[in-house]
Formats: sequence, C-alpha cells, structure tokens
Amino acid sequence: MIELRRVSKRFGAETAVDGISLRVEKGELCVLVGTSGCGKSTTLRMINRLLEHSAGEIQIDGRPVQAFDEVQLRRRIGYVIQSTGLFPHWTVARNIGLVPTLLKWPRARVEARISELMALLGLPRDTFGDKYPDQLSGGQAQRVGVARALAADPDILLMDEPFGALDPITREELQEQLAGLQSRLHKTIVFVTHDMDEALRLADRLVVMDRGRIVQQGTPLQLLRDPASPFVESMLGGEDRGLKAAALIPVSERMVAPGAEALPRVAVNASLRQALALMLSARAPRLSVVDADGRVVGELGLPQLLGARAP
Amino acid sequence: MRGAQRLARGGWPLIWLLLLLGLALGMESLEPLFRWLEPDSRQVIYQRADFLNLLGRHLLVVTLASLLAILLGVSAAVAVTRPGGRDFLPLLAQTASMGQTFPPVAVLALAVPVLGFGTLPIIVALLLYGLLPIVRNTLAGIQGVDPAVGEAARGMGMSGWQRLWQVEMPLAAPVILAGIRTSVTVNIATAALGATVGASNLGDPIISGIVNGNTAYVVQGALMIGLLALTVDSAFERWQGRLERARAAAA
Repeated sequence: MIELRRVSKRFGAETAVDGISLRVEKGELCVLVGTSGCGKSTTLRMINRLLEHSAGEIQIDGRPVQAFDEVQLRRRIGYVIQSTGLFPHWTVARNIGLVPTLLKWPRARVEARISELMALLGLPRDTFGDKYPDQLSGGQAQRVGVARALAADPDILLMDEPFGALDPITREELQEQLAGLQSRLHKTIVFVTHDMDEALRLADRLVVMDRGRIVQQGTPLQLLRDPASPFVESMLGGEDRGLKAAALIPVSERMVAPGAEALPRVAVNASLRQALALMLSARAPRLSVVDADGRVVGELGLPQLLGARAP
Repeated sequence: MRGAQRLARGGWPLIWLLLLLGLALGMESLEPLFRWLEPDSRQVIYQRADFLNLLGRHLLVVTLASLLAILLGVSAAVAVTRPGGRDFLPLLAQTASMGQTFPPVAVLALAVPVLGFGTLPIIVALLLYGLLPIVRNTLAGIQGVDPAVGEAARGMGMSGWQRLWQVEMPLAAPVILAGIRTSVTVNIATAALGATVGASNLGDPIISGIVNGNTAYVVQGALMIGLLALTVDSAFERWQGRLERARAAAA
C-alpha cells in the first residue's frame, strides 16, 4: 500500500507537485494521467526516492519512505521507464537478473528466476537470453524492462510511461500483456501516462493531474460518467466519452434472457462498444449473445445497451 | 583483401616491435647508410650508451608518468562526476587544459631547480602534459553514458560504487582508452626532452647530435622514438578494436 499525504515538490521557486494526497491500495493499478509537466512523473519518482519530496509524507506499508535506506527501498520496488534504460553492455538475461544479483540471491535461484520471467513475458530464453538490448525491437526491449522490474518479485511496481515510445499496435499488445500479468500477480502498481485510452484500459483507479494537483480520481467509469471539470472532460475526449465508457462495460453485464429469434451474434466477453459497432454495421437493434462455444446465452437490445432497465 | 586486413590488424604491433628491437640491437649494421648521411664525422653511430639500454629507460619514464597520469586523471574525472564533486568539474577541466598548454620545456625549466637534474623532472613534466587527454576523455566517456541507463541503474537500487564499476566505467572504457592512447603516444615523443636535464633516454642521441652537429645521431634517436611510438600506438589500437568487438560481439 502506498499513501501520499499533502505531498509537495518544489524545484527552486517552481512548484511541480502541490500538496497532493493519494492512497493506492494493495493490488491496485493506479494510473496517473495528465498533460506533460503536470507533475505525474515527479510524483512517481518521489515514491522510490529518486526525488526527495519537499513537504508532506509518503508512506509505504505504513512506514515513511525516509525510514528506508534508499538503495534497499528501490530494490524492493520495481521500476520501468519509457526509454527502458537497459544496460547496453549486458545481455538480456543479465539485465533481468540485476536486482536479484544485487540482493545476493544464490546464482542458481537467479538463473531460474530469469528463465521463469522470460517465459512469462513471451521471450524464450533460448532465443533472447544471450542477445544484447540493441538487438531487440522496441516492444521486446520494453518487455525485458518489465521483466527486470519484476525480477525480485517486488510488491510495488512504478511505471513511468512505459509504453509511450512504442508504435500503437505494440503498445496495445503490451497493455494487454500487462493487464493479463496484473490479473495473476496482483502487484500494487502506479502507472504514469499521458495517453487517456491507455489509462482507461488499464486503471483500477484513475487519477487526473493538472499543474501539480489532483483534479479528480475514481474508477474509469466514475470519471467517464461524471467528470468533475471541463478539463477532465476534455482529457476524457469530450463527446467520445460515451463510447469510451461503453468500451469498459462487458456485454454480459447488460444482456437479458435470450429469445428464439436468429440474430447477429456478439461474444459474451465483448464490450458494449463492440456490440454497438455490430448493431450499426448489421443494422440490427438486437443481438444474440454467445459464449466461447457458440451457444446462445443471452440477448442484447438497444435499450439494454443504453442502460435502460430490461422490460 | 580481408585476409590482408586481418594480418595488418593482428600483425602491426609485432612488426613495429621487431623493427624497433632489430634497430636497437643492430644499429651498427646500418653504418654505411649513416656514413653516407654524415660523411665528415669521426663517428656515425651513437656510442655513449647502447640503444637497448636507452630504450629501456625511455619506456620506464613514459610508463611511470603514464601510470601516474591515468591514476590521477581518471580518479579526478570520476570524482568530479560524483554528486559531491560536481562543483569542481569546471575547475578540473580548466586545470587539465592549462597543463597541456604549458610547454613541457617550461615545466622542465621550472622543475629542475626544485627537483634537481635527472629523471624526476621529466616524469613530472610528462605527467602534467599527459593529464589532459585522459581527464577530458574520462569526463566525456562518463558524461556520454545514456542518462536513461543511469536513471535505471539508480532506480533499480544500485549503489554509487556499483553504478560506477558496473555501468559507467565499462560503458566509458573505449573513450577512456582512446584518451590514454593519445596521452601515452604523445609522451613517448615528449620524453626525449628529458635528455636536456640529464635523464638519459632515447632523447640523448638527438640532443647530442644537435649539439655536435651530427645528423646521424639525430636520425638514430628519432627513428627509435618513432618506432616505439608506432609499436605502442598500434598495440593500443588493437586493444581498442578488441573492446569494440567485444561490445558488438553478438550483433
């Protein structure tokens, strides 16, 4: 658990972070989102003490960060940055083994952990273990960056625009992979991005920052339904908000009992946005909802999609 | 073509070394050549000390001065790139530059009254003169490390020493080595000045030749120094090449 209480950071006369309070629960993926210079990266870097805060208090598991030795603190917090920061003179395997080696794990345990993580991230060790970072694609390098951060199995992961430099397709792949990992590993993650779609896709809790302050926080749906200010609304994409919210709700949440009619089919785990797109393209006001085996499990009509109560 | 390149890359230090040793041991056999160059002199081969001996002393002076310069230069440059020493960075850069603009002859002239004649003043002069390339390249090498790599190293929980030895120094090594190469090669030539203050080395035949108007002596000293510089320089080149290939090993 991470807790910030009225934390500020000043660089000379300039205030980068202005009295923010934030609580990230254990196992929660919290996304800080905002325009560049809003203080989101500064906030992140104060948690592992790459920057010292000027005022307020930052606690990890109830203990102020200053109470930790800074080097020991960082070894128990995973850290992923946009430019990966992989050591160019080390092989991929050695890069991943960095923190366990710093923690003086026995060699065999480090090796086993490296292989395990590489398999977890879809980079087979036989193929990639002995490569150097400059032989990897951007997506592969960032996977190695994530593996390195996870190596010593930290409870907390700090990610500073980790996918910001990747092309859109690779970015989505990695977002999906991260979401998959998180559903298994349940780390406490603070994730910084300026990409609202990425934030909506990943966040358990979304924190919108502007000029060093938190302007609104909540679940993605809460923010989409009820943006606190025109700034948040514009960050959320203005009139696209409805579609973005629909993308976050699965069809299974709105479907009703199926009828006997043959209708265009939509998967049960699809989002309302996908269902709407299908209605538009098939010119159908109602859809059959099917499970993975193709069995009809429900029906979704336009009124349900819009959130009206079932008749 | 590639075979020839490989031979040259591997072979040049050895070729220069053999030429150097051959010349040191067999200068007499070139007497007809030097006789032709200097027909009027009684002696045409420098005799006051044998060339192998002079070569040994020359190397000793350069090695000592260079080791000191590396030790001082690298540690000073490392010190001013640490958080605590950053304020001294401009000072160090300027001092090192001044060390090089100060002519070694002037250093010798100033050092002799303090340190006396002999080997010590020339070591001091070479040390000062050789510092700049080492300091400058060590600074450039360390500052040239990708900031993201430094940030990651810090963020992963590496201590200052671990970052220095495992990240910064290995990444800066090729640049630092290039600086050492320049420093050593230049000092091999500059060390000849030691002969003017009584440090007997390969500069002796040159100074003696100038004083006595014997061109053959000058040529003998210059040839030896030139070959020594080529040997050492090509050895460094090979070492640098090996470092770079190791870096690009799997690429």
